[in-house]
This record gives sequence, C-alpha cells and structure tokens, in this order.
Amino acid sequence: MNFIQLFQMLDTNQSTNAKRSALVEFIETAHPLESALAIEALTGRRERRQLKPSLLKQAAYQAFADESWLFDECYAAVGDLSETLAILLADQEAVSQTEDPVLAQWQACQRELSKKEPDALTSELLGLLSVMSRDEAFLFLKLSSGGFRVGVSKGLVHDAIARAIDMDRAVIEERMMGAFIPDEDWLNRLKEPVTQNELDARPLPFLLANPLSESDVLELDPTGVAVEYKWDGIRAQLIKTHETIRLWSRGDQDITEQFPDIIEAATTLPSQLILDGEILAGSPEQLQTFNELQTRLNRKRITQNLLKTNPAFFKAYDLLRFDGEDMRTRPLTVRKDTLSQLNVIQSQVIYPASHQDIQTMRLTARAEGAEGVMIKDRQSTYVGGRKTGHWWKWKLDPMTADCVLIYAQAGHGRRASLHSDYTLACWNQNNELVPVAKAYSGLTDAELKTIDQWIRKHTLQKFGPVRQVEAVQVFEIGFEGIARSTRHKSGIALRFPRILRWRQDVGPQDADHLSHFETLMSDSNAV
Amino acid sequence: MVSKKSRHRDPLIIRTPEGLYCPKARAHIDPWRPVDCALITHAHADHARAGSKHYHCALGGEGLLTKRLGQHIIEPHPYGESFSLGDVQISFHPAGHVLGSAQIRLDDGESVWVITGDYKRDLDPTCQPFEPVSCDVLITEATFALPIYRWPSMDQVMDQLFGWWDHHVRNRRTPVLLCYSLGKAQRIMAEIKQRSDRSVQVHGAVANLNIEYEKQDVELCPWQRASESDKGVSTDLIIAPPQVAGSSFLKRFHPTELAMASGWMQVRGVRRRSAIQQGFVVSDHADWNSLIKTVKQSEATKVYATHGETRVLTRYLNEHLGIASERLETAFGIEDGVDQ
Repeated sequence: MNFIQLFQMLDTNQSTNAKRSALVEFIETAHPLESALAIEALTGRRERRQLKPSLLKQAAYQAFADESWLFDECYAAVGDLSETLAILLADQEAVSQTEDPVLAQWQACQRELSKKEPDALTSELLGLLSVMSRDEAFLFLKLSSGGFRVGVSKGLVHDAIARAIDMDRAVIEERMMGAFIPDEDWLNRLKEPVTQNELDARPLPFLLANPLSESDVLELDPTGVAVEYKWDGIRAQLIKTHETIRLWSRGDQDITEQFPDIIEAATTLPSQLILDGEILAGSPEQLQTFNELQTRLNRKRITQNLLKTNPAFFKAYDLLRFDGEDMRTRPLTVRKDTLSQLNVIQSQVIYPASHQDIQTMRLTARAEGAEGVMIKDRQSTYVGGRKTGHWWKWKLDPMTADCVLIYAQAGHGRRASLHSDYTLACWNQNNELVPVAKAYSGLTDAELKTIDQWIRKHTLQKFGPVRQVEAVQVFEIGFEGIARSTRHKSGIALRFPRILRWRQDVGPQDADHLSHFETLMSDSNAV
Repeated sequence: MVSKKSRHRDPLIIRTPEGLYCPKARAHIDPWRPVDCALITHAHADHARAGSKHYHCALGGEGLLTKRLGQHIIEPHPYGESFSLGDVQISFHPAGHVLGSAQIRLDDGESVWVITGDYKRDLDPTCQPFEPVSCDVLITEATFALPIYRWPSMDQVMDQLFGWWDHHVRNRRTPVLLCYSLGKAQRIMAEIKQRSDRSVQVHGAVANLNIEYEKQDVELCPWQRASESDKGVSTDLIIAPPQVAGSSFLKRFHPTELAMASGWMQVRGVRRRSAIQQGFVVSDHADWNSLIKTVKQSEATKVYATHGETRVLTRYLNEHLGIASERLETAFGIEDGVDQ
C-alpha cells in the first residue's frame, strides 16, 4: 500500500475502526520511508510550505491564459485551491498507482520546484500535474502547500502505530511527542528502549479539562476541589533538564525560540523540572490580549524590539517533575504545595469551603482578564488526555450581540458552494451598518441550507465569491473578548466570534449599536 | 435553410409565469402550472407537472409520464417526426438524458428554435443517444457549466463501483448506492448488466420505474424489491433514492455503507457535506465540454442558458466564442448552483 491508497481509504470510510485498520495495514505494508513521511503529514508536522498558494494560482492562470475568470469561478465552486487544480489540470483518464512509494519522490520534486524562478516553476508544475492522476495531483498539491488535512486524529494515528508494532499505546504517545524524524528507521526507533536523558527533554501528555455547566458545579463537593482562574493564553510545558530549557506547546510544537524572555527567566530554576502552565501576553500586573501572543508565534525572528512591545511570561499551575522525580502520581495538593515553594509566577489557587466561593471566583474572572475558572479535584493525579473526574473548566458566558448579515461567502472544504461565511455588522453613530465580525459556525446544516437559499435570492451585488445581501437577517453572536483594532472600520476586533442563533424574531433595526461593544470592553480589564 | 433576417420580429418563444411559451403554437414547454397544451421534454418532476389539459411527449416517454402524472391526455410522437400546432412545426429529438427524453424543435418558417431540456452526450444503454439539431436559437441547460465538471468514462466509474462494492461485502457491510430513482438507477443497473451477472435490490420507488423501463426492452441487471428480501447484511448492492439516508429503510441491512452517484460528487466538499463517504461521478447532464460542443454543433446564432451555472456559460459564449448569449432566469427565483 502507498500513501495514495491510504488517503483514499481514510477519506471514504466512515467508521473509526475502518480507518484504524487502514492505518495499521499501511504501517505494516508500506515502505518504511513512505510510512514515515505519511505519519509526519498525518500528525500535522509538515507545516513547511514549499509552494505558496499564490504560485499555485499563477500556474492555474497560466494554464487558463485569457480565461482566468473561468478559473476563479471554478475555485469558488470547489472551495479548495489544490482540488480545483487537480480536477482541471490532472490527467482525467490516469488511474492512481496504489503500491509503490510516492512521498519521497514528491518531496524531492517539491524541493526542486521551490528552488526555481516563479515562471519556470509554474511551467514545470503544469507539466507534472498533466501526467498525474487526480488523486495524485490533489495530494501532491495539498502536501506542498501546507494545507493537508484528512479526518484522522493524532490519537488514532498513535493507536494504529501501537497496534502495528504491538506496543503499549501510552509509550507510543510519549515517544511521539516532540520532534519526529521521518526516515526509514522511524519504527525501529519507536521500538527501542529510550534513554533517561531523552525522556527528560520531552514534554509529557497534557491533562485536559472537561467543560462544566452551572448545574454540574452545584453537584460537586466544594471541599473536594481546588479552584483557580482559567487563563486565555498558550498552554505549555516548561522543561528544564541538566543541559537545556525547552518550551513545548500542546500542539507538540517546540516554541522555545519564540519566547527567549520566558527561557531567560527560567534559568534560575532548579533543573530536572517540568512545569505545566500558560504563556500569557504582557506582565502579571498588566495582561495583554491573546492577539499580542499571536504576533509572537507568527514571527520567524524575535527581535529585541518585539520583546519590548509584546512581552510574555509563563504562569505555572502544575508541577509534573521535580528534582527528577515524576510528580504525576502525587495528588494535586502535594504538587501545588511543592510548586508554591519555587520562585516562579504561579496561578493563585483557592480551596473553597462552599459553592459560593467558586461562584465568587468566577464572577471576578473577567476583571482579572481570565476567561473563567478551572476546578480541579484535590486528590487527582496528573494523567494525559481528557480524563473525567480530574479537571473541569467553567467558562464565563460569552459576551453576546445581535448583528446584521451584510456579506456572505461560500465556505471551504465541507461547506464548499454553500454560503456559510458571514460578515456581520452593527450600527454606528451615523446609523450605518459597520462590519464587526466574520463568523463561520454555530448553525445547523438545515439552517445553513435555508439561509443559503435566501442569500442567493437576496443578493444586491457580487464581488467575486462575496455577495452583498439585503440587510435583513439578524444573528446573535457570542465572543470571548474585544480589543481595539485599527484594521476594522468599526475600530474593534472580537475574539473567537461565532453564531449562537438565528434571530428570526427581530429585524435589523433591533440589532446592537457600537456603543454596546464599547460598554462590554470597558467592563473587561484586558484591553 | 431558414431565414435569419428580422431581428425585431416577435420571438418564437417567450417567458410567462407558467414557464416557456410559444404563442404561435399556443403551447407551453415543461410548464410548472396547469396549462391547455404542454410539450414535455422528460418525466423528471421539475419538468413534468400534473394538471394540464393536453400533453405531448416523445414516443417511449409516455409510460414514465403516466406513472408520474397519473391519467392525463398524453400524445406521444416518434423522434424526428414533426406535427403542427397552429403555424408551428414541432418535433422531438433524442436528448440522451433518460428514457424518452427529448429536445424540442419549433419551426414557424421564419426561424428554428431548439429547447434542449436536460441532456447528456455520453452513451447510456437505457435511452437513445443525443442527436445534434441545428437551429437559429438554442435554449440549453447549464446545470454543470463549469470546466471542473468533466465526466469520467463509465468504464472507470464502474471499476470503482465494483471495487467499493466488493470491499464492503468483504467487511460485512451492505453497500448502498443513492441516486435518482428515475434514470440514474436504471442506467447503473444496465451498466451492471453489461459487465457482470451481479444482482441488486431496489427501493420501491426504483422498482416501479424499473418495470416501465423493462416494458420498453431496456435490459437491466437482475433485481428484487428490497422490502421483499431477508433482513441482515446484503451482498447485493442496494439502490435507493437519496431521501432514504437516515430513514428506517436502511435499518434492515445494518450495518450499511453509503455512496452517492451524481455529477455533484465531482467536488469533495459537496460529498463530505452530504455526509456520504463515497461518491461516484455519474451524471445524466452535459458536462462542460459537452455543453460547448452542443452549442457549436447547433450553429445557433443566439443561445439562452437556463438552470445552473448560466452566468458562466453565457459569459464564456459571449466573450470567448463570440456567440450572443443570455441567461434565461427561471421563475423559481433560484439564481444558481442549486439545481436538482
């Protein structure tokens, strides 16, 4: 089996079992380099973009010559650039070969291509695509342009690896954390006994929280839990061995280089240590919003200037290893006590006597710049994954506003050619509708379909794939925060906006004014 | 040859609230409200509606039409033979869409108009192949008028279908193919017949139409009503209309694996949105190349496009082929992209 056949099986099978057995069969039968590169792609590790979307578009325009508008129409209908090119430019009659390895060869191809000047590159790419089957072209382009996704979770991949080489899944999980070297020896390395030193530098599986509602909270015994604020930052482990200090995000990314200020601050800590906590923007006294953190993550080089304008710090809330000892089997209270003796910024924790204490903590969360509270079993051990009965999160209700739909655009992927991306607006002082958010999710498929039909019949103007529609439909949106923004006409940017419901009971005149957002903003501390 | 002189003359066909209408023949084409005289291209529900006083259709299509409309006055005409209504000579020509489907040619001695109805250019063992008809004005469908719609060969599709079918039978799951019960279902069954001795079980809606096809000597693979089969996993393919997804019909064959046969399956996002795991690209409509070929072969100097991607087709004809072309809005108010 090769990667193309694996993809076809993953893409056309519904059940997790069928997907898992496809993965196991693939790992067992594929060339080891093919499987290594496939695992790298399936676990989202291949982020390097060899071919930019703009280059793919340029190639398409070259192929369509004076009919470039026709390509744009196709792209709008398909909703995926790689797929559009594959349909239009691959050899329709070619049948994908499903045995011999393809990935190493594709990777070499991509490298060669990316060295070329744009014009030579696009011509060569067109030649390449014209002899590929549609699936080959699609996968080649997806892998090259950094947008590859197929419906398998990392957990499923790890599970399949464990089954294929008959090892414990937890061991595989731990060994698959961190950097992955995609060579022919990958399976042999996974089978090997691991040295202590290697283990020390790797992050441990994160413990994740389950969401709670108010009524769930009332059922908890308050004297059995610890409560702290839920911070809106980047979840990370700070790892200090005898030799190095590393910072790992929950997405298995080594983000050490993005945060030299945090690493610097950690030099005074004892070695043989792992802290679990949150990377936050600003300083403990003055938090900044999540947007500011994003800037740090997106930069290749972190300049001194950026460290000044976008400072970051690490707020610890758990201790997974201390003085070389694995603390994860100790109860939370013990871990917290030990943590409190360390000289690190840490999350304040209370041990409530009543439900009222939990409520009070939650009510002060927004003013503290937090997005809710974390409730943790005092006796709980630290285990990887979303285990029930260990940690819970009780988030603040989102801030809400009623907004008017003014633009709609066809979605991508599953929502291709269905108008599911909405631009929503509120009223300003001059009684104009100004856009405040773009929201994609929250409606049922049936609602989406109905609204899609409405949009098609009530389009005022089309700008390529974007339709301006009559200002009629009102949606209640929820969001987690507001920040000032110079980019948007409304002067504000919402954090994680999504549609809560379609308000068929009100008209556009009932939608919120900009002043509503101003009030919400002044109520929350983090601006 | 017909004269193409007077541009200011009243058009032979106009739009009315009831649908396309030829005043000189006093006949509507595929009307969506009851009228006196209806010319019907084919028996699909969006083209053939009940309640009109008198129907004309192509010979071979009257059985399906009766099944769909109930008892009405239906007058069938052999392909290519013309008859008069008023001063207009009318004839039906094969459209290759489904059994008895037709293009309609209208000739008043001044100009010739052809309404294609739905059509395809690919061969289909269940109906007569499309015949190009030259005309002055062509009214063509445009359901799939985008270059992304290029239909694969039926050999390729049937290979895929058999592979998928066998795979799930091996894994003890019942393969279920969802497709339109009129036309697509029988086309798949005829293709199966030509390639194998496999048999299928069909939903009641399909079974009723199968009988009509077999009356017209269309050879289908062996089939049985799904409701009369044993409960449990089936090694036969189940053929049913798309509406059965999520209904109790599928329960008796549990566990099932769903696939859809449709031109829309050409786009991965469309398939995934419909919660269908496997898609087979089989369409009874013309793909992009067929649409362009048909327009060229018609030699029409004016082309109207209706249904689907009309905007794209008309722009392409106007800008790149120099053929005067306009969109013909349907009174459904549906602008584009959501055709059957």
